[in-house]
Amino acid sequence: MSTINLNEASVEIRERRLGSVTGFCGSAKELVDCSCGGLKDMKRGFSQCLGCNSGQAFCQLSMIRDAAVVNHAPVGCAGDFFGFNFTYRVEQTHRGLPEAYGRYFCTCIEEHDTIFGAVQKLENTVRRAYERVHPKAIFVTTSCASGIIGEDIESVLDALSEELGVPVVSAPCEGFRSRVWTTGFDAAYHAILRKIVKPPRKKTNKVNIVNFWGSHIFDELLGALGYEAQYIVPLSTIEELEHISEAAATIHVCPSLSTYIAAGLEQLYGVPELKVPPAYGLRGTDRWVRGLGKLLDREKEVEEYIKSEHSRVEPVIEEYRKKFDGLTAFVTAGAAHGQAIVALLSELGLKVKTAAIYHHDPIYDNGDPKSDLLAQDVELYGDVPTYHVCNKQSFELVNQLRRAKPDLMVARHGGMTIWGAKLGIPTMLVGDEQFGFGYQGIINYARRIEDTLDAIEFVTNLSKHSSNPYTDWWLKQEPGHFMEGGRKNA
Amino acid sequence: MALRQVAIYGKGGIGKSTTTQNLTAGLSELGKKIMVVGCDPKADSTRLLLNGLAQKTVLDTLREEGDDIELTDIMKIGFNGIRCVESGGPEPGVGCAGRGIITSITMLENLGAYTDDLDYVFYDVLGDVVCGGFAMPIREGKAKEIYIVASGEMMALYAANNICKGIKKYALKGGVRLGGIICNSRNVDREIELLRAFAKELGSQLIYFVPRNNVVQRAEIRKKTVIDYDPKNSQAGEYRNLARAIEENQMFVIPKPMTQERLEEILVEYGLMDELKDNYQI
Repeated sequence: MSTINLNEASVEIRERRLGSVTGFCGSAKELVDCSCGGLKDMKRGFSQCLGCNSGQAFCQLSMIRDAAVVNHAPVGCAGDFFGFNFTYRVEQTHRGLPEAYGRYFCTCIEEHDTIFGAVQKLENTVRRAYERVHPKAIFVTTSCASGIIGEDIESVLDALSEELGVPVVSAPCEGFRSRVWTTGFDAAYHAILRKIVKPPRKKTNKVNIVNFWGSHIFDELLGALGYEAQYIVPLSTIEELEHISEAAATIHVCPSLSTYIAAGLEQLYGVPELKVPPAYGLRGTDRWVRGLGKLLDREKEVEEYIKSEHSRVEPVIEEYRKKFDGLTAFVTAGAAHGQAIVALLSELGLKVKTAAIYHHDPIYDNGDPKSDLLAQDVELYGDVPTYHVCNKQSFELVNQLRRAKPDLMVARHGGMTIWGAKLGIPTMLVGDEQFGFGYQGIINYARRIEDTLDAIEFVTNLSKHSSNPYTDWWLKQEPGHFMEGGRKNA
Repeated sequence: MALRQVAIYGKGGIGKSTTTQNLTAGLSELGKKIMVVGCDPKADSTRLLLNGLAQKTVLDTLREEGDDIELTDIMKIGFNGIRCVESGGPEPGVGCAGRGIITSITMLENLGAYTDDLDYVFYDVLGDVVCGGFAMPIREGKAKEIYIVASGEMMALYAANNICKGIKKYALKGGVRLGGIICNSRNVDREIELLRAFAKELGSQLIYFVPRNNVVQRAEIRKKTVIDYDPKNSQAGEYRNLARAIEENQMFVIPKPMTQERLEEILVEYGLMDELKDNYQI
């Protein structure tokens, strides 16, 4: 189990905390087996562009409704602001919130600043941000440039907190710190745990749901059990975050996202974490609901819920199973959510032959092997014969996709679906991880799959007019051709 | 004759700036056209040639006046027509001095400071080559020859050997070569033999042995090189000889830095380790 150390400004990176890896070639079962201490990362001799953990830190901090974010970086690092602002505005409508823009600032570190230091610019930017939008807190995300010149950010922000009377908090997320981009989520949560969350005044009946965004899907279930869902971190307020230590429990939608904050709240304030893997697929959801019942002392009530939900969804699922029987699928997504999609598709009778997953956490911060969703997938639904950790490398993905020739491709991130479509494979993008959550999620997925398979004509035509950017040489190589070291080379 | 670009390295406090300025004063007396570029944030590499620290550094100028600057803003003419430039840098403990050197050398090139009439450009670089910025003068085909200022003191030799590792790295990729070791004497026992043996082990030479003389200190207090302050002094002659040795130098090598063990063997061989043990006091 990792120790949450709030004395350090920087969160310890995932590679060291969890032993996370960005390269693996093998099957899901092999990965599960060697996650118990035998897993070493592989290096790529060739790589296309990669994610940066600074984006992940920004993702979690940029949608706190009454905070501002200052990115202490060259202006190019702020190139992703618009995307987060777009998501922020779209997601406000899902929650029925009033329209608001993101409050994002960049210090625009230039060449002169790298020589003479840029803390003066940082001070000016933080003050300007405060004057303009009067936030309840200001988060400062860092950059490679500020990291290399060794900016003394902590002391500057401490002084500014005192001057402005609101927390001004650093979230060190220099791109070079970690090969695992999800370390950026941890950087954001570390900042929140360090300087925003207060010790509990009392215990409440709220349950922290750590998610990205999306609608209030947990209200009904938790309400029926006498609890209140509290969605964090995006679209929450600083005041709400101050008191997440008072909650009755913390629930993950995606442990890849929230492993650190859940463990932090449990270790620091005794908020119990639901350690059962999140509810994807019928059997996975049964386990999750029972785990929740146990944690919230509602074991009897959840049995009734399971029974009624089964009678509602099972006949529908059975119809879809018949329809999808024998079809093969290819999944590409981040770690835990990719594993969730494997469960969903398997539940619906599809055979997931290949998965190209961005990274892998062999264990989460709670140190409990039972939280391993991939292990549960293998146990409940069988092995995924080709389960590669691809770090979002398109060249590997295309290679695998051509070999797998699946009937369906499912992707979690925009930009990845195009490869399936260009090859004439019916492909669906499901960005919202709550869409497939729980019992209803299985039906949601089934309907979307049905629609996607129906639209095969579109991708068939598209593939006739598409060109392939990769050479014949590359397509004949093994997908793991450029990977070296680690446990196994394909 | 083609422009010779020379970088002077050596342990901090060994006398690089003093040696460089006295040496260039000597070269100027031979009729050579010289530019000295100080690559130290302290900006004290041209003080003796300019009779004071009146110099505005490249980076100060860049900071205060923006990119639109003239060569005359940052280059001052010192003793015997020697052109003096100080790179400058951030205040201690802030920013990145190495990046500053990269920026200011690039700026000098853009401003056309490297004119055809120059015979020599000397880069006087801060003590240890702590990062890529301080290796800038020997990267990208700039300085082709390097001299290391050292003395018979152990730490000076450790530093010199370490600098040779950096030179070797760049020498294998580009054209930079070690021209020799300049001994700035500290009057330690058997210093000249030790330095000769050390230089030989590196595959190089002890190009000149500058004896210790208090006139250097007196001249420095008066903000002058010895050649300027007391041209008839024997020490002025020593610096003129050093200048001639550099001018006539034909030996340019890729250094063979030694292991720590071998370096210590040489020190033992010349009795220094024993001496140190006997007299070790703090």
